[in-house]
Amino acid sequence: MDEARRARLTRWLRDATGDPSLAVTAMARLSGGAIQQNWSLDVARDGGAEAWVLRTDNAATLAVSHGRAEEFALLRAASAAGVTVPEPLVLCTDARVIGAPFFVMRRVGGIAAGHRVVKSDTLGGGRDACVRALGRELARIHAIRPPRADLAFLGDPPEDACSAFIARQRAALDRQRLPRPALEWGLRALERETLDPIAPVLCHNDFRTGNIMLDEAGVAAVLDWEFAGWGDPHADLGWLCARCWRFGNVAQEAGGVGPRAALYGGYAEVAGHPPDHARVLWWELAAHLRWATIALDQAERHLSGAEPSLELALTGHLVPELEWQVLALVEARAHA
Amino acid sequence: MRELPSASDLLAIAREVLLAELLPHLPGDRVLAARMVANAMGIAAREAAQDPGWIAEAHARMAALTGDAAEPLRAFAAAIRAGAFDPGTPRHAEAAALLGDITRARVAVSAPRALGKG
Repeated sequence: MDEARRARLTRWLRDATGDPSLAVTAMARLSGGAIQQNWSLDVARDGGAEAWVLRTDNAATLAVSHGRAEEFALLRAASAAGVTVPEPLVLCTDARVIGAPFFVMRRVGGIAAGHRVVKSDTLGGGRDACVRALGRELARIHAIRPPRADLAFLGDPPEDACSAFIARQRAALDRQRLPRPALEWGLRALERETLDPIAPVLCHNDFRTGNIMLDEAGVAAVLDWEFAGWGDPHADLGWLCARCWRFGNVAQEAGGVGPRAALYGGYAEVAGHPPDHARVLWWELAAHLRWATIALDQAERHLSGAEPSLELALTGHLVPELEWQVLALVEARAHA
Repeated sequence: MRELPSASDLLAIAREVLLAELLPHLPGDRVLAARMVANAMGIAAREAAQDPGWIAEAHARMAALTGDAAEPLRAFAAAIRAGAFDPGTPRHAEAAALLGDITRARVAVSAPRALGKG
């Protein structure tokens, strides 16, 4: 970010906070995702020092993810529902300040990186306690129900989240360069066993190891809300438990972190009832299919020339292994 | 007629140099990029070494299953979506075996560890 943008940012933050003494004392790019840019901001105001994070967009973004204004509204709703999230501070929808809309939230310490998290026996208060806490967080998210005026941008809830998922995935496959028979095989298996419709709730839709900040005491923050939407609560549990998000630690079925029973137990503590295991398994197969089509879309950003990137290029090569898992899961369902 | 060493050989030995001789001297914030480069070279080396004969064979088996030899992959995917190879249909096992074979061949290039190799 150049000097002119930093100066405009400081002026804007002074106006937004009503604090003319506010100064940005340090600013550094954080290791961000493929979609967003995150910047750490050290801020001096009212004589004290504060640690913030500024979140804004990369040049090219996935069509399915929310913008910063929507993510800010989701953070506020989650915070009000008791979900552990970074405190949302201010939102700027004026792209002229730093080149794209952004919001600022309080910086949270901890570790999120999947490969480190699954190796630790102590993070999050230990494996059992950690996934129990994750279950409680999910149940709090799922207590947010439509209709919500502040979340109107999420659109109408689907009447049947399962068939909506299958239709969306097929549309995603139809826009790819090549047909994907193994993914079709998985979608067809889900279609043969569609679940009964269920009352829609707010789903985080990317609640997995790697997107949850942990410290030694427990869950420090649930991050990355840009895919949230109305749906079947079991979709979040299936995404977290899917083998492709266990970062190699497959024996710990809840995200490579801890046992599935503890996750379900924590969920039941808040929701008043445990999740429906059969529905979670349906959504675990769905998770592999969804991650595969996201990976295809990310690879396409490289292939199309829109955003040449080694990371995006390699993401395309994750798809065969996901397809391999899809075939195995379909086979397992047939013999269940 | 091509000069040796082959593409796969060159990529494999270049990858060894990258990992063994260069990576230890890189600053910490460049290690991930170097590992991604090594990963890409490994995939490219395995692809270059793989006999591509399985692709034509797979297309022929798809065409035999659907009767569409013009666009076998597209026809196979569409038939699966339409339920033509559901459990209980006459050619279910044949379609499942074909899917296993083509996916295994692709995983062997992209992620051989998933097959317990590499």
